[in-house]
Amino acid sequence: MRRGEDNALRNVGRLFVALWRLVRGEDQRGRKVKWLVSQLRPYRGRVALMFVGLLAATAAGLAPPYLAGRAIDSGIQTGDVAALDLIVIAFVAVAIIYAAATYLQTYMVGWVGTRVLQDLRQRVFAHLQSMSIGFFTRRSPGVLISRMTNDIEALNQLVTDGVVTIFSSTLTLLGVVVILLVLDVQLALVVFLTFPLLLIASVIFRIVSHGAYRATRERIAAITAYLQESLSGVRVVRSFGQEPRHVDEMTELNEANRAVNMKTVYLNASYFPAVELLAAVATGVILVYGGGLAIDREIQIGVIVAFVGYLTTFFEPIQQLSQLYTTYQQGMAALDKIFDLLDTAPDMVDAPEAIDPGTLRGEIELDGVWFSYKEAAEPGEDVWALRDVDLHVPPGQTLALVGATGAGKSTFAKLVARFYDPQQGRVLVDGHDLRGVQQRALRRQLGIVPQEGFLFSGSVRENVAFGRPEASLEEIEAAIATVGATAFVEALPDGIETEVGERGIQLSAGQRQLVAFARALLAEPRILILDEATSNVDVRTEKTIEKGLERLLQGRTAIVIAHRLSTIRRAGKIVVLADGGIAEQGTHDELIAAGGPYSKLYGAWSESSVA
Amino acid sequence: MRTYRRLMGFLRPYRFQLWGSLAFAWAAMGMTVAIPWLIGRAINAIVEYDKPDLLPLALAIFAAAILRLGLTVVRRLVAGKVSLAVEFDLRQVFYAHLQRLELGFFDGQQTGQLMSRATVDLGAIRFFLGYGLIFITQNLLTIVLASAVMFVIDPVLALLALAPAPLIVYAASRYNRVSRPAQQEVQQRIAELTAEAEENVSGIRIVKAFAREEYQLHRFQRAVSRVFDQSIYATRLQAFFSPLIGLLPQIGIALVLLVGGRQVINDNLSLGDFTAFYTYLVMLAGPLRMLGVAMGMAQRAIASGNRLFEILDREPRIESPPGAPALPAGGGRVQLRDVTLRYAGVDAGAEREGALPALSEVSLEVEAGRTVALVGPSGSGKTSLVALIARLYDPDQGTVFVDGVDVREVDVPSLRSEIAFVADDSFLFTASVAENIAYARADASLEEIEAAARRAQADAFIRALPDGYETRVGERGLTLSGGQRQRVAIARALLADPRILILDDATSSVDATTEVAIKEGLQEAMAGRTTFIIAHRLSTVSLADEIVVVDGGRIVDRGTHAELMEGCGFYREIAEHGLADSVFLQRDLEAREEMARL
Ligand SMILES: Nc1ncnc2c1ncn2[C@@H]1O[C@H](COP(=O)(O)OP(=O)(O)OP(=O)(O)O)[C@@H](O)[C@H]1O
Ligand SMILES: Nc1ncnc2c1ncn2[C@@H]1O[C@H](COP(=O)(O)OP(=O)(O)OP(=O)(O)O)[C@@H](O)[C@H]1O
Ligand SMILES: [Mg+2]
Ligand SMILES: [Mg+2]
Repeated sequence: MRRGEDNALRNVGRLFVALWRLVRGEDQRGRKVKWLVSQLRPYRGRVALMFVGLLAATAAGLAPPYLAGRAIDSGIQTGDVAALDLIVIAFVAVAIIYAAATYLQTYMVGWVGTRVLQDLRQRVFAHLQSMSIGFFTRRSPGVLISRMTNDIEALNQLVTDGVVTIFSSTLTLLGVVVILLVLDVQLALVVFLTFPLLLIASVIFRIVSHGAYRATRERIAAITAYLQESLSGVRVVRSFGQEPRHVDEMTELNEANRAVNMKTVYLNASYFPAVELLAAVATGVILVYGGGLAIDREIQIGVIVAFVGYLTTFFEPIQQLSQLYTTYQQGMAALDKIFDLLDTAPDMVDAPEAIDPGTLRGEIELDGVWFSYKEAAEPGEDVWALRDVDLHVPPGQTLALVGATGAGKSTFAKLVARFYDPQQGRVLVDGHDLRGVQQRALRRQLGIVPQEGFLFSGSVRENVAFGRPEASLEEIEAAIATVGATAFVEALPDGIETEVGERGIQLSAGQRQLVAFARALLAEPRILILDEATSNVDVRTEKTIEKGLERLLQGRTAIVIAHRLSTIRRAGKIVVLADGGIAEQGTHDELIAAGGPYSKLYGAWSESSVA
Repeated sequence: MRTYRRLMGFLRPYRFQLWGSLAFAWAAMGMTVAIPWLIGRAINAIVEYDKPDLLPLALAIFAAAILRLGLTVVRRLVAGKVSLAVEFDLRQVFYAHLQRLELGFFDGQQTGQLMSRATVDLGAIRFFLGYGLIFITQNLLTIVLASAVMFVIDPVLALLALAPAPLIVYAASRYNRVSRPAQQEVQQRIAELTAEAEENVSGIRIVKAFAREEYQLHRFQRAVSRVFDQSIYATRLQAFFSPLIGLLPQIGIALVLLVGGRQVINDNLSLGDFTAFYTYLVMLAGPLRMLGVAMGMAQRAIASGNRLFEILDREPRIESPPGAPALPAGGGRVQLRDVTLRYAGVDAGAEREGALPALSEVSLEVEAGRTVALVGPSGSGKTSLVALIARLYDPDQGTVFVDGVDVREVDVPSLRSEIAFVADDSFLFTASVAENIAYARADASLEEIEAAARRAQADAFIRALPDGYETRVGERGLTLSGGQRQRVAIARALLADPRILILDDATSSVDATTEVAIKEGLQEAMAGRTTFIIAHRLSTVSLADEIVVVDGGRIVDRGTHAELMEGCGFYREIAEHGLADSVFLQRDLEAREEMARL
């Protein structure tokens, strides 16, 4: 029995907590806005100026009606021309002050607002830079881009259009509240009765609109992501002639975007009337109630006139604020989304005690490494990309990784570059567990040619020098020569300064690979990782590269992944990966003699290459 | 102004709603005027009568308020709906236009730039249409009406009051002139920033691999500063002109006070008239003050419109001619006749004299059902050559025929549906494996999908994926290994069931054992199709009936393996390099000799 009561009590308690959460919102807006405001600190001076501008503009905006009234009362009605002139001069002066203050206000609000938003943009970007590769594999790039563009723009609209309105409306509201109280406390209290109603309306609105504004952010992000993907895959779209289908899919997304936005239009249209209605009701009540009082001669008619007049001024700022509500909600939803991103802690940050290993000798060791792309992988599951890999590569050795596709070769390379951490076991370079090494200090000494090449838009020179922008032109040209690309680069319309286009689209596949290769070489790596680095390159160029590499690999460790077994050069050790595990390892001769998987692979290859 | 009119053109389908919404807005304004009048009546009643019945008046006020409310709500709904509809339409038109543009257009474009147009720029337009337009018309109407009433009350004073009007017009037009280019530049810089962000996010693996995070951040900061500087410039313009436009009517008020006041003092004007006049003048000043802000909004929208129209006005250069017939039935015979192709380069349009053509005077005939291998050094023009067959580019000179007809004279979709590519970068979409394979034929059954996958030697690995065929591959298929990706791309091309199959370095990332297996699958798949195989390795080339050697954009040799081994130096080089023993073992020997020496 007691138990049941307890339970009931607890349930009621829970209900209240849930209700309160709903009312307050679980989005911690307060914290976010506070944080945003705290970002203003470096610009204190300008913020102060902004407030001066806002105050001056609001105050100067109130003065002209008063002065005009004075002109009528004490100038025109009394026939005092001198006074009239004086007041008009004051009127003009105030108008000029108003204009000047508005200039200051607009400029400063614009400055501070834009500055803070640009800082926020940079922060999002910097935060993204600190995220791991795994994070980027899980997220759609378009959505991440949307955070830095659409969401910031939504906030921008709020800041540029909102701040002034919010500030001056609130100020006006406060002023009117004081005036109403001074005029007549009783009537004022009647008017203030609307406040709780307003609050309730706002809370209801908030509950109903829960998620609606967030949805608009998600939809526009989806559109951005779709654009990003279908535009970067335009070659596939065109070659399969699938344009209509993409237009259809875009129509769907576009339609969904319209639908969620329409919902906010409905919401806003229904919130606004609530405010309007309250204003009307309040006016009616004041007239009837105050009128009654006036009839009984308890208050003066002038008071009612003034009161009704001020009532308009009272509700006007509230209306203006409600006008802004959509912009506000949209901006806040955008802020939520941005914070979702900023609150995602980077999953692979350097530990505080992480060391800078200095110049690497290039010794690599994998010690009982298990790795899966699925984060919480169970030992029994069939999701391991690498299983129990033990391997030692002495400094200066060239390690060749071979194996069927999907065996885990690229994964191995990614672990050495610490793009991922293994779930079990350790990856060591020069005897340091990579988890205790500063990532960038490590990667600066790696030269990686990943399997999926990527060039940035910019010139060939900029791309080759990506890893070391301070490199001299001679060094860049030397790197290009090493990969046998001099001839093709010189033949380009602007030589080394030719723009390669986005992702290097204006180069042929092999040319792209050569540029990526030269980029890795120029970085003067201690460890070179070549993941199918010449798969799209013709044999003649490949030979040139091999000659160049021979010199380059002196004293450097290299991991070479290749399917064309001819690419494997000076491989001190060949490791055959199968299904994520090491099937066998040794020199070519040893492996051929052993007659294991390698000799089969080799057999298949030499057979196919004889044709 | 042209852009403005074109933007308005997008409002045409909604003109009734729009006018309706304006009518509602004006009616609501009428109510706004009526309410103070009713209040005045009520006050008079209190003053004049002893025990007045205030309730009817209060109810009237209430009713008027309700009416206004209804009008306002409807107006807002309609305006919201229209602005969303216009945004929708604009995005549709824009995206559909992008899909009409030829591939060459995208060579010189940054994805981020285009994305920004379809999102940020469209947002600015919508904001203006949904919010600014009605606002402006409402204000303009107020201004016109108030001016008219003022003229009725006292023409002389009205002239005085409107004395600053020419100045206002001048200031406003100046503001327009300077602000539009400024806004356009803001939008442009936002687009640049988007492109910067886009490249960084897509290239994050390279950024990380080379530890260039700081450098990228620095670049992004520069893009951000550029946006900031330009925005501040635009803000300064607004901060200057907007108060100026608001200030000028105040001068009019001052003049009226000065002159009109004197008239009242000299009894030339009644105080009542003067007060009324003054009230209207004040009514006029408010909208004028807001006009500056609204104009800023309009300028931004027009600037954005300009940027949209920039793309919309770029006519597609590769399109089916009107009424073009579908590609006639046939076996897939391909002919290239004296074909020369020059790429436009980054600054499209400007013919580059220095650039060598990617293909020069290439002539090639491939009979239906044959398999031809294209070999040649990197950048020799192999990919360019096959791109012409599907009319991804049009040659500058010469003609391409498929089954006897000029590809420029047939319906483009019908042509492309008969050609399937495995491109050298095997791009996959963020979708399930099954959807990717069925890309060219969304209606394909699961059996067909699996059959295609089996032929491409992809079935086994796909089944081993966490969700089998329903596993989603990440961006560009990056959650698959290189060889897996290529095999999905091969399956995608096979499922398209094309007349002409093009394999552009399609097995470069596949190991030898798998390749042998794929070759078998391909051999089946190639039966009855014309196939082009581009490869650098002999192993792949061996599938072909005939080999074409391309170098420097020209066909330099052509023949069977045996013929070319005889007569073609380049081919011999490939063959010899590919021969396992001669290279691999020889190296191994070197290494062993080296060891021995040590
Ligand atoms: N980002 C990822 N997320 C999930 N799974 C992945 C990811 N990258 C690779 N895999 C899976 O891990 C396994 C090993 O892939 P890996 O790229 O290491 O193969 P590989 O040996 O390099 O093959 P290839 O020769 O085809 O390049 C494959 O089954 C692949 O599907
Ligand atoms: N979209 C483009 N814009 C400008 N130039 C291009 C474009 N695509 C290719 N090129 C240039 O045209 C030439 C031929 O390129 P193509 O891609 O046809 O070579 P390829 O024979 O396929 O080479 P690979 O074997 O490396 O793929 C190259 O010099 C290349 O730089
Ligand atoms: Mg790989
Ligand atoms: Mg190519």
